[in-house]
Amino acid sequence: MSQYLLSSLIFTPIAAALFVLFIPNEAKKTFRIVTLAISAIQLGLLIFIIHQTKDSTFSSFLLTEKANWFSIDLGTWGVLQAEYFVGIDGLSFSMVTLTVLIMLIAGISSWTIDKNVKGYFILLWILNGAIVGTFVALDFLLFYLFFEFMLLPMYFLIGIWGGPKREYASIKFLLYTIFGSILILIVLIALYLSVQNPDVQDRVVHTFNLIHMTDAANYITGSILNPDKGWMIGAHSARWWAFVLLFIGFAIKLPAVPLHTWLPDAHVEAPTPISVILAALLLKVGAYGLLRIAYPIFPDIATSLSWFVALIGVISIIYGALNALASKDLKRLIAYSSVSHMGFVLLGLASVTTEGVSGAVYQMFSHGIISALLFLIAGVLYDRTQDRMINNYSGLSSKMPMYFTIALIGFFASLGLPGFSGFIAEIMILLGAFRSFSANGLIHESFAIVATAGLILGAAYFLWALQRMFFGPFYIKSEIKPSQLVDLDKREYSMLLPLVLLILVFGIFPQILLDYINPFAQHFTDSVLNAVRTIQNP
Amino acid sequence: MEKLITIEILTGAALLTPLISFLLCLLIPVRFSWVVTIVAPILLLISTSISIYLFVVVPNNTSLLISIEWFHVAQYSFNGNVEINRLSILMMPLVTMISFLVHLYSIGYMVGDNGTKRYFAMLGFFTFSMLGIVLSDNLLMIFIFWELVGFSSYMLIGHWIEKPASASAAKKAFIFNRIGDAGFLIGIMIVWANTQTFDLQEILHMSEIYSWQTAASLCIFCGVIGKSAQFPLFTWLPDAMEGPTPVSALIHAATMVAAGVFLLSRVFPLFTDASLQVVAVVGAATALLAALSALNQFDIKKILAYSTISQLGLMVTAVGVGSANAAMLHLTTHAFFKACLFLGAGSVIYALQIANRQTENFDVQDIRNLGGLRKKLPTTFFTFIIAAASLAGIPFFSGFISKDSIITSIWYWSGNTFSWRWLLLVAIFVVSFITVLYTFRMVWFIFFGKEKQSASAVTEPPWILRVPLLILASASVWFFIAWSPFNPSGWFTTLIGGLPDSILVTSISGGLVLLAFVTAWFVYTYKKTQIKSLRILQNGFDLDIAYQKLVGQSTVQLATVAETVDRKWIDGFIHVAAYAQVSVAHVVLWFDKYIIDSSVNAVAWLAGVAGSFTRSFQAGKIQLYIFWAVAGLIIFLFFILI
Repeated sequence: MSQYLLSSLIFTPIAAALFVLFIPNEAKKTFRIVTLAISAIQLGLLIFIIHQTKDSTFSSFLLTEKANWFSIDLGTWGVLQAEYFVGIDGLSFSMVTLTVLIMLIAGISSWTIDKNVKGYFILLWILNGAIVGTFVALDFLLFYLFFEFMLLPMYFLIGIWGGPKREYASIKFLLYTIFGSILILIVLIALYLSVQNPDVQDRVVHTFNLIHMTDAANYITGSILNPDKGWMIGAHSARWWAFVLLFIGFAIKLPAVPLHTWLPDAHVEAPTPISVILAALLLKVGAYGLLRIAYPIFPDIATSLSWFVALIGVISIIYGALNALASKDLKRLIAYSSVSHMGFVLLGLASVTTEGVSGAVYQMFSHGIISALLFLIAGVLYDRTQDRMINNYSGLSSKMPMYFTIALIGFFASLGLPGFSGFIAEIMILLGAFRSFSANGLIHESFAIVATAGLILGAAYFLWALQRMFFGPFYIKSEIKPSQLVDLDKREYSMLLPLVLLILVFGIFPQILLDYINPFAQHFTDSVLNAVRTIQNP
Repeated sequence: MEKLITIEILTGAALLTPLISFLLCLLIPVRFSWVVTIVAPILLLISTSISIYLFVVVPNNTSLLISIEWFHVAQYSFNGNVEINRLSILMMPLVTMISFLVHLYSIGYMVGDNGTKRYFAMLGFFTFSMLGIVLSDNLLMIFIFWELVGFSSYMLIGHWIEKPASASAAKKAFIFNRIGDAGFLIGIMIVWANTQTFDLQEILHMSEIYSWQTAASLCIFCGVIGKSAQFPLFTWLPDAMEGPTPVSALIHAATMVAAGVFLLSRVFPLFTDASLQVVAVVGAATALLAALSALNQFDIKKILAYSTISQLGLMVTAVGVGSANAAMLHLTTHAFFKACLFLGAGSVIYALQIANRQTENFDVQDIRNLGGLRKKLPTTFFTFIIAAASLAGIPFFSGFISKDSIITSIWYWSGNTFSWRWLLLVAIFVVSFITVLYTFRMVWFIFFGKEKQSASAVTEPPWILRVPLLILASASVWFFIAWSPFNPSGWFTTLIGGLPDSILVTSISGGLVLLAFVTAWFVYTYKKTQIKSLRILQNGFDLDIAYQKLVGQSTVQLATVAETVDRKWIDGFIHVAAYAQVSVAHVVLWFDKYIIDSSVNAVAWLAGVAGSFTRSFQAGKIQLYIFWAVAGLIIFLFFILI
């Protein structure tokens, strides 16, 4: 059993999607129950994983599964080999945990879906499997496959079940992401041509194995991306270009300014559960790609361009916050706050210090649960009134006191109040980013200093929104009836309260998660900085 | 050893009881919300008793560290250590006692309020956060509680949710604090990058002075500027008067603005000489500006707010001139008399609101509408005048002793030869002169003079509002703090340490206060000066308008620009790219349809034409066959012959 744990985690929802093809569309309740059942199974598997790995350190990959997927003999060109290779380390573990939790919440939130229920849930489950797959794949081709597999369900989920401008938003989302995917694909092919499997000595076996790709010794002499004597394309080495392409590809997903404009539209148009998945999980794939692929495979280029990564991060923080300040739509505000918060991930990553990278991963997790809460909060109001404009409400706290309380918690958690998980993440990122200059000289201290302005702006836009919507005398736009404004119901509590609890738990007891993240972060910084040293002085 | 363990447990209990009060207040159902008005004060009473017990029991030079690791990243530990030292032993009873009295007072003051649960919960949380600052031995933990104090103040200033003004005052308080905190955070980052630890035990006991300390301490001072309402971030404090009056008492006396001065004293060894000079100048400037503003206010609470800013400026100056002990002494005395003044102002407001329920558009907080209340509100008058005397620094009151210590330390600091430091000394003398004026003006207009219309139906508020006043007033007299009314030595000096003392300065400042008193008497009673005010001073030097114009509007404009960039430029570029692609696609389609397809069709057509032409040869006409045969023959012959 224990050797197929990760595969079961990936394929449970996908198998359910096949199985459910035989259930008629009318049986709405069945789909809800199956969704809950999938999440229950995944949660069970996750607990089993925690139990299985409790004595192991999370710096290396655990629970690996490896099977030959296909291998084609190309004669003198060598052998083309792809593997089904999955495993988890601290980073994967925290992301898989996040996925399982968010999918459970999104499943409950999907109960309000009325249109073509069967299609919706099948797409949701495929998405679930694909996201888990992306986070555990250790073979670049497999990763890419899962990565692409996420797009299609997402495209339909926004394009069919979305709001009024759904077609525009979904096509924008698809084109943006596919553009990024092509860049990643180019690097994938170049890497594949350059790396050989060190386990086979007598002949050249090309491989997609991500772990082999991190070792400079595995690069074929004279190949495109060889760290010593790689090709030059224009003024820069091919490795430089490869890193830049990967960075752009993943930065679109992250999303980093100026490649972010798909996000506000996609969020505003997507139905609530899809917004939740989009913000909590899909954005993390971009950051995950940088942490798992771009930095470890191209450490030499990554560290020399860290200042640029940090710059993009800081621009995202400030620019996202300013846009949030100008947003009139609550969901748009939250979407831009996501841009701002994901900028912190870039900053922490660029520092390549243990606390900075730990903070970046912590921020990925923490933003996952906080943004899920925020989008659910926006969804609660939209479900009742079909109106998300901030200025159409005032003094809501008197009509919906519990809703006000939850919104207050969500907003303060997002603006980084201590006691909530976001604070731990942001403080560690800032500490790491500031120390980077004296510790490894990668990024200047001023990046961290400028980033603190994001914290002030964060307070400004959230408190302003709170003031406009919840404080003051009660007022709503004439189209909305006061009778629509009922306080939270049981189903909504069952989604919101667990999230609030998680945000508090991870804010007050960060060690729970840091036990998984720390070994990864330490391994990551050591291996990246060591690799730079070996490449520079072979 | 056994005793130390009990001290640890008791400290933990004193710290956590307010937190328990917070949680209980949240958990008690709404229909039993009257229960919180009993539970919360009792829990605070417990916390206060423990703190006072500790104050009495713990030996003076104790420094007891309770190590708790919060979390660790790689080899770095982030600790939640608690340290019991002379400062925390002083602050704990101060914070809890004032908080308890405010709780008690609030039972009466907040009767009939809809948000009692939320109110008492946040009072508990406020106290807990402040105790956290007081007890932490870790810079990061202090920052955490520091932010939580900011959050509590947001909730309490904005307590009356329906009032638009209170919502914006709450927001302003939080954002101004955040601006200061961003500086504090940078200070924390500097400390981290250089020491990789936040434990004050280590940071404050370094063997030498490093150059980064100047930057770090100035950044930390930014946090103090925000929280203790120093120039130029003080404008949030007068606005914060929108909250309920007992909350103002709490903010001004024990739990919020005091935090800044406390922090300065706590991390005093980190400050270098250069940064201390900045601290002194900022403090003195704040004290002077705020004193001038206080003299020009009409709202009771705003007078008190500006007077707090001014007094905080004095404390900050004291730290800047190197006498953190004098600052702590003034912090202690100020806590009691300022709490008393606020609660006194609260009972004036309470009594007048009850009496003037029918009158509309009547501002009970405007001193021009008040007058002659000394007969109607004897207890309030009596306590208010004691606290006011203490604020003004009249001899025989606690404020005189503490202000005198500050002035003495500045006196010694400024030296015997003339330097810019003398200006600062003069400024502080001016401040203490003006303090007497505005205090006298306030007391005169509220309690003396002719009884106004509004005072006709006024009666003394219930005992629950008066008891806290009496307790606080009795703590504002000199014997509370020292043996002699002219010398600071007493329990405070035994606990905290020595204070500078000089008979010359004491006589000068005593004389100055008396002179000011006489001046005030002459100006406000004998000459019956019409109350006037300078608009610019009334508005706190128009700093708010400047911020609104410079920072607020430019930020909003920047946000609009960012939005335009997003929609017009980035999205515009994407749209243009998309349109370009679609246009190219249309061109390709046209090319496909008209060039490629047409040429294919043309070829087909040509083939058809050629076909029908050649077909016509074989239509079965014999003559034509013969013609072609002959023609063929001729061509053949032609080839052979040539």
